[in-house]
Amino acid sequence: MRLTRGAVLLLATVLIVFLGLYVLPLATLVRESFKVYRSGRIGGLTGTFTLANYAELFTPAYAAYFLDTFRIGFIATALGLIASYPIAHFVARGRGRIRTLWIALLVAMLFVGTLVRAYSFALTFGPVGVLLPVSRFLGVSPNSLTLTELVVIAGLLHYVIPLMALTLVGTIHNVNPALEQVAQSLGAPRWKAFFTITVLLSGRGILSAFLLGYALTISSFVIPMVLGKGIVLFATNLIFNRFSELAHYPGGAAIAVVMLLLSFLIIYGIVRVVSRRLEPA
Amino acid sequence: MTRLLDTAFVALFGVVLVAAAVFLIVPIVMTVLMSFDGREYLGRFPPPVLSLRWYTAFFFDSYYMVALRNSAMVSTVAATMATVTGVTAAVLLDRYRFRGREALSAFFLSPLVVPTVVMGFSVLMFLSLLGLYDGFVRLIAGHIVITVPYTIRTTLASLVGIKRSLVEAALSLGADERRAFREITLPLAKTGIVAGAVLAFALSFEEVSVSLFLYDPPSTTLPVAILGAMRSQFNLTLASASVVMMGVTAVLVLVLDRVFGLDRIIGAGIYRS
Amino acid sequence: MSAVELQDVVKRFGSVTAVDALSFSVRPGQCVSLLGPSGCGKTTTLRLIAGFEAPDRGTVRIAGRDMAGRRPYERSVGLVFQDYALFPHMTVEENVAYGMRQRGVARGEIPDRVRRWLEQVRLVGFERRRPSQLSGGEQQRVALARALAIEPDVLLLDEPLSNLDAKLRQELRLELKALLGSVRTTTIVVTHDQEEAITLSEHVIIVNRGRIEQQGAPGDVYGRPRNRFVAEFMGRTNWFTGRLTQTTGPGRWRFESEAKAVFTVAHDAGREGLAVDVAVRPERMGVERDAANGAASADNRLSGRITVGEYLGADLHHWVRLESGERVLVVEKNVGQSLDPAGTPVVVRFDPSGCIVLPASGAAPADPRGGHDRAERP
Repeated sequence: MRLTRGAVLLLATVLIVFLGLYVLPLATLVRESFKVYRSGRIGGLTGTFTLANYAELFTPAYAAYFLDTFRIGFIATALGLIASYPIAHFVARGRGRIRTLWIALLVAMLFVGTLVRAYSFALTFGPVGVLLPVSRFLGVSPNSLTLTELVVIAGLLHYVIPLMALTLVGTIHNVNPALEQVAQSLGAPRWKAFFTITVLLSGRGILSAFLLGYALTISSFVIPMVLGKGIVLFATNLIFNRFSELAHYPGGAAIAVVMLLLSFLIIYGIVRVVSRRLEPA
Repeated sequence: MTRLLDTAFVALFGVVLVAAAVFLIVPIVMTVLMSFDGREYLGRFPPPVLSLRWYTAFFFDSYYMVALRNSAMVSTVAATMATVTGVTAAVLLDRYRFRGREALSAFFLSPLVVPTVVMGFSVLMFLSLLGLYDGFVRLIAGHIVITVPYTIRTTLASLVGIKRSLVEAALSLGADERRAFREITLPLAKTGIVAGAVLAFALSFEEVSVSLFLYDPPSTTLPVAILGAMRSQFNLTLASASVVMMGVTAVLVLVLDRVFGLDRIIGAGIYRS
Repeated sequence: MSAVELQDVVKRFGSVTAVDALSFSVRPGQCVSLLGPSGCGKTTTLRLIAGFEAPDRGTVRIAGRDMAGRRPYERSVGLVFQDYALFPHMTVEENVAYGMRQRGVARGEIPDRVRRWLEQVRLVGFERRRPSQLSGGEQQRVALARALAIEPDVLLLDEPLSNLDAKLRQELRLELKALLGSVRTTTIVVTHDQEEAITLSEHVIIVNRGRIEQQGAPGDVYGRPRNRFVAEFMGRTNWFTGRLTQTTGPGRWRFESEAKAVFTVAHDAGREGLAVDVAVRPERMGVERDAANGAASADNRLSGRITVGEYLGADLHHWVRLESGERVLVVEKNVGQSLDPAGTPVVVRFDPSGCIVLPASGAAPADPRGGHDRAERP
């Protein structure tokens, strides 16, 4: 049915909401990123245009933050994937009480919320938790960079595993379980059947789950903020610091725009990966 | 040898599963247990004595209670407005076929891709430009834009499940398009709409990043209050506050499961995919 | 005045012409069926009559009035969908009452009317139930009651029995026929199942690729198909391609197939040398094991050997390879006989008047099984 006049009116209302709360704010952000920053002022100088904010991001000091974000995000996502796949496989293929419990656990963990999660990790891996024993075991100082990064990664894992596991359940569900059984009847041991059949066939799903996890880890804010203790900083934390401590809006905006573009790029990548699946073999 | 490798593989599989389960549960359990810690100070786990002191501290602290009230208010208003907007958008996408419908649908769902920090920052900038400095207004605005995609998704999921033949049957029996929508489509889409509203509330309630940019002291939300307390005094009131937050979310998830069914939520993609 | 009339109706979807200058009319109180394979345009025709689609050309008239521009709710059409489309959030009573409420029937009158219609479909007492609590057959009856409750000018049934299992289908078929007979509303049944069509309706319209191939009483369409498509669609067929060689009496001709099988057929418009396709229904043939028997009857007799036999309980299927090379299927009722082993020499026997003679179409003879190329059996 084509749009009636009433429908157009409703559509306009929705579009206004999106315009006012989404499009225009992002546009403002982009504009701000090109303004000149004068320390002491709140926000950039109106009417100015400069690329300095972006150029600054390529300097070693700031580039390091981005690299840290990408590196830690990658490690967390990769480890998360290794843990998520077996979980997803169990949920997709299993039956019975334990499976239901797993689904409940995954969903519960999803809804726990980033703040509670961050606090729980701060507690568990903090001074009253396992921090001291672990640091002694690894032979590093409790405040060292390595240990802090590990804790951040652990926090990110807790965030990303339920997500990726649930995403992968759908993927594995689409792989015919009979195939693995056929492979076994033809002589392949379970591990071989698993890797060469199921894992291979869910390749696209694995890739898109990974990209999804990665997009979310690099955009994560509360976890690196609380668990990073100021030693580990993500790009998102940088944005907030510039905003709250320096009122360096243009600089914060520039980082924000970069993160935005990256996120869109990764999601676009997912769309491409998924849609390729639909091409004839 | 093959048999051994195979058994080892299956064992490894099981180990990964158990380890993951432990990893997921332990921090939460620890928080819950510590929230009942009877000691006055933050001591090593496990707590030797249990008490409700931290809960009392939480519920009698006006700092937290005001924040709780603010959160409830902001989330209710934001969820309501997000639901209204979302249902409208979903109905438009479902009923009408027009050029650019796919693109519009992608556009409506695109806020899911934007990092919440970026969203919070940009809304702040724009509203400041407009001269809107009230914390509540800003918070509600920010929370609406991050929850609308979810209300659209769940409503759309419900609408899509309504067989076309039901609406056509109503038409053939004499109902015009508007009556058919009111009497057939809308009631059948109820579950999706309610699920979207509950989901929006839950997400708004626990939202930190966006709130950090948009709040002002009178409109401090509970997550922001907890975060602030984390930086100044790291004591176990935070644990009880966290457990309370978890409790609220748990109740909402149970409601969601009752109304909509959790597997459908996952299908509708609460985790943007 | 006809109850429903279509004149030169054309409907295209993109480059596909679903309905191609279709014209037919239905008398008041008549029950007709639109029969054809999937994709033939019958469902589109139904939707054109109901008002969910508008014709690109041509007119649709109901009760003499042109329906151009009229929305479904402005027509008096009762529709029973293939999936019944009962409103899941309403009780049976509310479902049946829905149309009446839309038409402004007085509140107080509705419960009585609902009960009357539920009586007709034998579902009294089901008022408070929900569709999810009903069986398939019960749902269908509620859908019927709902459509009939608005006392429509025409009742449209879309594949009414296809969602039911075989046993239920038979039971409901009789019930449906009785119901349609008692309400006497003009009815159009759309189906792909020829059994459904010939049992439910008095007039069958066979549609293929948007056009009418043939229409008539069930017996006509089955026994005197006008072309190959209709012959094959209406039932299993054995085909012989060849020529009429010479007449052996008024309306009787000698036929010789390309494979040199020779037998007699009945045909009024015959002519020497005419190329024809001859169809013989498997159930009009019989097999004899004793070659000498019945040599004196007027039946055609072709010898051959059994290739394989199928035991179907009520029927026995004999596949015979004739001496001339053609393969035929003979269907016999099970009266206690047993299947013959492969290779048994037999004689296939059939009456010349049981042959359907059609002008040669040039198409290759089809396996009576219908499209499946069976592997060669010994």
